Amino acid sequence: MNTYHNDRLTCWNCPSAILRGNVDFRACGQSMRRFTSMEGGDVVIECERRPELGHFEPTINFSECPQWKPTKYGRLLDNMRVLILGIDGYLGWTLALKLGALGFEVSGVDNFLRRRMVREKGSMSVVPIASMEERIKAAKKYLDIDINFRKIDVLNRDKLADFLKEVKPEVIVHYAEVPSAPYSMVDADHAIFVQKNNVLGTLGLLFLMRDIVPEATLIKLGTMGEYGAPLTGRPLFEGFFPADAVLLWNGREWSLGGEMTPRDPVSFYHVSKVQDTFNVYEACKYWWLRSYDVMQGVIYGVHTDELATDDKLRTRFDVDEWFGTVVNRFVAQAILGIPLTLYGEGEQIRGFIALEDAMECMVRLISSPPEPGQYTVVNQVSGLYKLKTIAKTVAEVGAEFGFDVKIQRIENPRVESEVHPLEVVAENLPERGFRPRVSLEREIRRMFDLLSRKHIVRRLEKVKDTIIPRTWWSGDKRDPKVLGVYSPDEVREEEGGFRGILHMPLDSVFVYRWEDEEK
Amino acid sequence: MIFTDKNFQEEVLKSPIPVLVEFWASWCPPCKMVEPIIDRLEKEYMGRMKIGKMNVDINPVTAKRYNVKGLPTFIIFINGKIVYRGVAAKTENELRRVIEEILASQDEEVRV
Repeated sequence: MNTYHNDRLTCWNCPSAILRGNVDFRACGQSMRRFTSMEGGDVVIECERRPELGHFEPTINFSECPQWKPTKYGRLLDNMRVLILGIDGYLGWTLALKLGALGFEVSGVDNFLRRRMVREKGSMSVVPIASMEERIKAAKKYLDIDINFRKIDVLNRDKLADFLKEVKPEVIVHYAEVPSAPYSMVDADHAIFVQKNNVLGTLGLLFLMRDIVPEATLIKLGTMGEYGAPLTGRPLFEGFFPADAVLLWNGREWSLGGEMTPRDPVSFYHVSKVQDTFNVYEACKYWWLRSYDVMQGVIYGVHTDELATDDKLRTRFDVDEWFGTVVNRFVAQAILGIPLTLYGEGEQIRGFIALEDAMECMVRLISSPPEPGQYTVVNQVSGLYKLKTIAKTVAEVGAEFGFDVKIQRIENPRVESEVHPLEVVAENLPERGFRPRVSLEREIRRMFDLLSRKHIVRRLEKVKDTIIPRTWWSGDKRDPKVLGVYSPDEVREEEGGFRGILHMPLDSVFVYRWEDEEK
Repeated sequence: MIFTDKNFQEEVLKSPIPVLVEFWASWCPPCKMVEPIIDRLEKEYMGRMKIGKMNVDINPVTAKRYNVKGLPTFIIFINGKIVYRGVAAKTENELRRVIEEILASQDEEVRV
């Protein structure tokens, strides 16, 4: 008998359960008595998918429910309705194909803002992507996936409300935010735009969810940058302090258990994500919404099986200073012969995760819907690396592909610690069966393989000038000075320097080892 | 152990040994954080004290009867009577101290 990580979840977690009867909405002294239509003291539900069950107690386990079918990611709800906000983006498109291939009913929304912002920088996706119409046709042709797309700006609540009513999503994955720190630091207009788009877009969405789909799960993307990198080395827990964390003051002590940990964002973009965190947390408290707030590490890479099926299915790939993430930019620099740009000391430590692993994380979270009112923060990283180590690794893999890669230190346009400890706790994803599968080297190899193809190198050449950072946190707009150029051998981690420490228990109990079966 | 409105009488009020009930809800982060500690203590004190959780949203009757107004609420019952009541997250040490005190006072009663 196989066991799955979500076997023991019940109707209480399931978006198909319609609450009826005596669920006392926030029973603890703040009752709103929202679902009290039934007589007697029992909580009862109806199942949207199995109306023949009538009214019953929400106690059926996923392992007992025929609607939750076994897959390699745990049990998944049959034909689950998912809405991806920002479906045209790097992650949104990748997830759409992944979920479509798993049998989800996929809907998506985008206003193509990302395409416009990258054009504003004078850049483009170096991996060519087609129009949404053509992408949807390709998804149908090569993977037999139907995608229900609507061009909507998330700030347009009327249009979004109509689409929510049409789709009735059981999961909403919210990628429709501007994902760039430097973009938010260009000037007042850009900062205000980013915060408006991100914060108000999400706030409006929360009200719509309350009114239209309160039982859906919101998977909200945040970033590890919300926490910053405290110089004390205090571990970065998953959003809340554990119960054994205590505040000591004046000879007395209090448990900090369940209190939000401090946030120390590092740009106005990161501030928008912190504001989202509070807005989503409050909405879960007030209205019994359910959410995973994903503190995503820096994403890199190009591969999932679905994306690799055909060139027409590829996701976008940006390398410019605004929208390129660090590993992706390093590989582009390596191919173009630009020495890889470390900012300042290059000793910054960050959490990272490959695209393919990040997509698996999303599926794992979708397979494990939170309970009513549950707001859970998830640290989504598969490894912690120093930036100079990443540069060295890119240089070494680049050498395998015949590139002679140098590394340079340049002035740091950002305001951030360049030498600091980092300790991260990431338990929620392993508890849901997630295991990192893609090593840094493996994904970098895949990136070189794709990006060094002729048609992509030609595109890289065209956007070459957008790679070096010119957006300073101070407001300056200028090229940073070069502080030194090194061969990969000269770049070393100092003895006794800080190392990232990752707490990621990989021996959780409820893991069905699909990969063993595949062998 | 999971306590419910249905099994409360049998498992808690009629229990021959002391019972610690943690009243909790899914929207309460401090409750989530205390969960692993409760699980650990449940195993450790098995046979001496029954330790478990009760979801106040799914079991509103009991929560109301005991006037649970803040979460998590910890109540220890002996022979159906409340001998301890504490509200808000507690460290493992704090919970342990409470449990040991209750068990020690019980031992004294037995000796008397």
